[in-house]
Amino acid sequence: MTEENITVNAVRDSFRESLAGASTLQELDEIRVKFTGKKGSLTQLLRSLGKLPPELRKSTGQEVNTLRDEIEHELDHAGRKIRDAENEKQEISQRIDVTLPAHGRTSGAFHPVLQTMHEIADIMQGLGYSVASGPEIEEDYYNFECLNVPPWHPARDMQDTFYFADGTLLRTHTSPVQIRSMLKYGAPLRIVCPGKVYRRDNDTTHSPMFNQMEGLLVDKNVSFSVMKGTMSEMLNAFFGKSLRYRFRASYFPFTEPSMELDIECVECSGHDEHCRVCHGTGWLEVVGMGMVHPNVIRAGKIDPDEYNGFAFGIGLDRMAMLKYGIGDLRLLFDGNVSYFMSGFGGAEKC
Amino acid sequence: MLISWELLKNFIDIEPLNLTPEELAERLTFSGSEVESITYTAGKMKGVVAAKINALEAHPKDAKYSIAHLDTGTGIHVCITSAKNMKKGDTVFYAGEGSILPDGTQLGTRDFHGVMSYGMMLSAEELGLHDVDDPSGLLILPNDARPGDKAESLYHVGDVILDVSITPNRGDLLSLLGMAREIKGLYPKSTLKTPEWLRPLKQDKEWSEEFGKISLPDKGCYAYRLGLATGAKISDSPLTAKIDLAHLGMRPINNAVDVTNYVMLMLGQPLHAFDLNTLPAREITVRAAHEGEHMMTLDGKDRALTERDMLITSGGEAIALAGVMGGEQTGINDDTNTIVIESASFSPVRVGHTSRRLGINSEAAFRFSRTVDPALSKSALMAATTLIRDWCGAVVDYKPLSSENDIHEPKPVTLTRKKLSVYLSWDNMNEAAKILDGFGISQVKDNGDSRVFMPPSSRPDITIEEDLIEEIGRFRGYNETEERLPGEMPKRADIGDSMRLAGFVRNTLIPRGYTEVLTYSFLPEDFPEKLRLNPDDIRAKPLTISNPISRDQMSMRTTLLPGLLSGLKVSITSGWREPVRIFEQGRVFLRDAEQSHTEPEHVAGLIFNGLDTRSPSGNRNEDFYSIKADVESLITARGYRVDFVSGHENFMHAGQTADIFADGVKIGYAGRLKPAIEQELDVSGVYVFEIDVTGLTESRKPAFTPASSFPASFRDISLLVADTKSNDDVMKDIRQCVKDSGSDITLESLRLFDIYAGKGIPDGFRSLAYSLSYRSHAKTLTVDEVESLHNGVRESLKAKGYVVR
Repeated sequence: MTEENITVNAVRDSFRESLAGASTLQELDEIRVKFTGKKGSLTQLLRSLGKLPPELRKSTGQEVNTLRDEIEHELDHAGRKIRDAENEKQEISQRIDVTLPAHGRTSGAFHPVLQTMHEIADIMQGLGYSVASGPEIEEDYYNFECLNVPPWHPARDMQDTFYFADGTLLRTHTSPVQIRSMLKYGAPLRIVCPGKVYRRDNDTTHSPMFNQMEGLLVDKNVSFSVMKGTMSEMLNAFFGKSLRYRFRASYFPFTEPSMELDIECVECSGHDEHCRVCHGTGWLEVVGMGMVHPNVIRAGKIDPDEYNGFAFGIGLDRMAMLKYGIGDLRLLFDGNVSYFMSGFGGAEKC
Repeated sequence: MLISWELLKNFIDIEPLNLTPEELAERLTFSGSEVESITYTAGKMKGVVAAKINALEAHPKDAKYSIAHLDTGTGIHVCITSAKNMKKGDTVFYAGEGSILPDGTQLGTRDFHGVMSYGMMLSAEELGLHDVDDPSGLLILPNDARPGDKAESLYHVGDVILDVSITPNRGDLLSLLGMAREIKGLYPKSTLKTPEWLRPLKQDKEWSEEFGKISLPDKGCYAYRLGLATGAKISDSPLTAKIDLAHLGMRPINNAVDVTNYVMLMLGQPLHAFDLNTLPAREITVRAAHEGEHMMTLDGKDRALTERDMLITSGGEAIALAGVMGGEQTGINDDTNTIVIESASFSPVRVGHTSRRLGINSEAAFRFSRTVDPALSKSALMAATTLIRDWCGAVVDYKPLSSENDIHEPKPVTLTRKKLSVYLSWDNMNEAAKILDGFGISQVKDNGDSRVFMPPSSRPDITIEEDLIEEIGRFRGYNETEERLPGEMPKRADIGDSMRLAGFVRNTLIPRGYTEVLTYSFLPEDFPEKLRLNPDDIRAKPLTISNPISRDQMSMRTTLLPGLLSGLKVSITSGWREPVRIFEQGRVFLRDAEQSHTEPEHVAGLIFNGLDTRSPSGNRNEDFYSIKADVESLITARGYRVDFVSGHENFMHAGQTADIFADGVKIGYAGRLKPAIEQELDVSGVYVFEIDVTGLTESRKPAFTPASSFPASFRDISLLVADTKSNDDVMKDIRQCVKDSGSDITLESLRLFDIYAGKGIPDGFRSLAYSLSYRSHAKTLTVDEVESLHNGVRESLKAKGYVVR
């Protein structure tokens, strides 16, 4: 160890000792002058460098500079600590009640059916489906006739219809968009169409206006297996869990074969005989579907010998009711903000 | 469609299947005929038995009552009744002490003026059998009832009724026979049976009555047959038949009419019975109605007819609307003894048209429009005459009179292994043929991978290969089929501009405090009036529904505003006192000269401060400028410039309404609701906006400008401005003055920071103070350069008439 080193270390020790004894900003300033000032210890050390043998000058010089950085850093740090401690006393005197209500607007709430619609459209986009649309005031031709339901057909009894004086009607399902899309885009095709539909029905389980999402896939050699796989993907993605479901044979004039899809009651999973959602059956009907009838493919100006496909109609209100546990369909369409906000803690829960 | 378990046993041997009604219901439901309910007709009934009245005496104290001594086979019971229709030796149903009626009532003893009555004797009504017998009298049983026999085991009292929802393509299932055939298909081990009354009957005698021709000039009548029954006695039907009819939802009338209903329920063929002597002439013609012809139907309504309707006439007089409803004058009455039974086959299209147009959904029309097997018209007529013989004691061995047009014959349908395999991911052709055979669809040609099948006449719904595949699919069920996704993802799946816009709107407004609502597309008829719309405003002429449910849901909305106002009202009525902020997006429906109508997509919002605006942080009421911020957020984030210009709407505040422009195109309005309308809603301070977002569908990409590396210079300017001049006007002037200066310095921002009126400011004026930020993109500005420009701007503003303060 050289004599000069001893000196650098001695200055450091002396600085540490002084710093440990300082408790005010003024004392810190005094220490700063004592060590780094014009007449301070470090300046003196630097001045003494010339007296050192040349081989030591450089290294000792570096050590002195390092010490200067150290001293400045530690002084700054100590200064911040002292200032913060002083400020904090004042801050505590400015204490507020953080539980007071927030200022301004807080977030509103989404409508469960529209949320459902957007979620399912997103899921279906992931499966390769584009969104198509059609008018809500529709022509009889698209709503019925080209879907294999001529005017005399008893299947018209399945859908009680609102009419206008000129013979147009409020679409009773989103299925007319099948034809409109086939005519517009041709095959192969994958579309969904969400939207309002209307039937002349009004009771606790029927609203004259409700929401559907039509789906259509047209391609070569389409199998029921693919429709089944698609339904399963869609339902699992939407409900965020793997639900049990089942298919029942059914009838729609525009599909052949036709079926309906029931899913396990999301409320009781079939364990509650008095379940308000499934009424004890354990199952809920949510989608009607089938393989597109060749006549419908033909009405879409596509060759049914070359292409076939499947179509489905999802009851969006039903899906929303299931996902969000809504018991009464009519609550969805009256615009009552207290109802929609209630799901988001908007109203004080006591 | 109601199905009786007991009657089903007449058509199919289901006993060996060991099947419960519940199991059958499940199988039917999964194969396409949903069973909606299962009813055990005896309900909770327990301990009710047949009993013979051994002795009958009047009550000693009250002549209203009779005392009966009943033999139940196991003892004698005393029972008192007020009924009058029984006599000694009759057998009745007796519910003794402790027994339970179908509705759950438990019987005990009762003291009738000192005489104890144990339980009661029952009327049909008390057995849950409505319309079977006079409800005020006892149900008197036929002679074959043995005392002690349990009521539920007699006369089909204890039956199981399945309510099955039959889809419109399966007219063949609207009968017990059809259901039996379906069950046979679903359970291949079962065997079909033929009830006694459906066996062939020898009918070869010429009619004893004179009768002319049956003419069928209308080809919509495929076949028309008449059967004759003479010497009939009109009375009640056998008890079992009456109970069967009641269980299947039909009121027993008399034996002749009951036969026609019974056969229709059993076989699916609608029949009509008339009194031969009430026919206007001894001839029948089935013809198309003349345009404008009228007829009085059985329900007393005068019907105007078209050429599509078919009439059954006799001697030129219309006696029935073919396949739909009879006329008034030819029915069976108590004195009828010569009955003619009509059994016909009609075009489903023609009957469908008539019944839909006239809104008549009779049992006959319901069935004919869903197709009745043409082969039935013969066998059903024979069955009906057999039952008329049995129930009315008539002579029926007369040869039926018949006339036929072309009868639809089933056509063969080919099933290929390829399509079967594609559709169902299953291709066992032999198994498929077996399944089809179970449903009566027989294989007529076997080419291995391609086979030809012939559907029975009862299944006109089977016409294409997919129909065969559906039979196989619904037999096998769809739950075991493998699942997969399409092998190849089509490219370019796109949620589309309008869906993206809808998503953008909700993602913008919900975080801004709005709740999303969805209201009905139809509005009350008087909404244009309530909104004070001018009669020539397009929104005052909504499209109206011809057959609305009510006047409140009659007119298609031309604006989203009424829906939001009713949402506000409902919210407040339900007790919500906090601020209301709601928005809706959806279509409105406007008349259009060229395309009959258009459906533009609108977005509308409403804010209301709430009924209770007290707050610990002081008054935070919202106003025009809050809703303006919301609208600006919507429009500018789509990349469009937004302008608010003082505007007018009849339903808005005359001084606080703006027209909204996006890139110079008017797209809607914003402002305060007309105070008079607020008053009608019992609120104050409602701000609304409504815009047509069609023009915002395309989202403009923002063009970014890098910040200048040279500092900006800020100067303020304060101007005395007449109230008639808007802030926008002033800002425009300031910008123009900077531009006019010819300087290459840019006015980077212009911001209003103070408005003052009052002391020191003349009436009709206000002082507006702006902060201007000058900047060059090429250099750091010197104080002199900025001062010189700013002074120039002040001078030009003075020149424009402003007082610069």
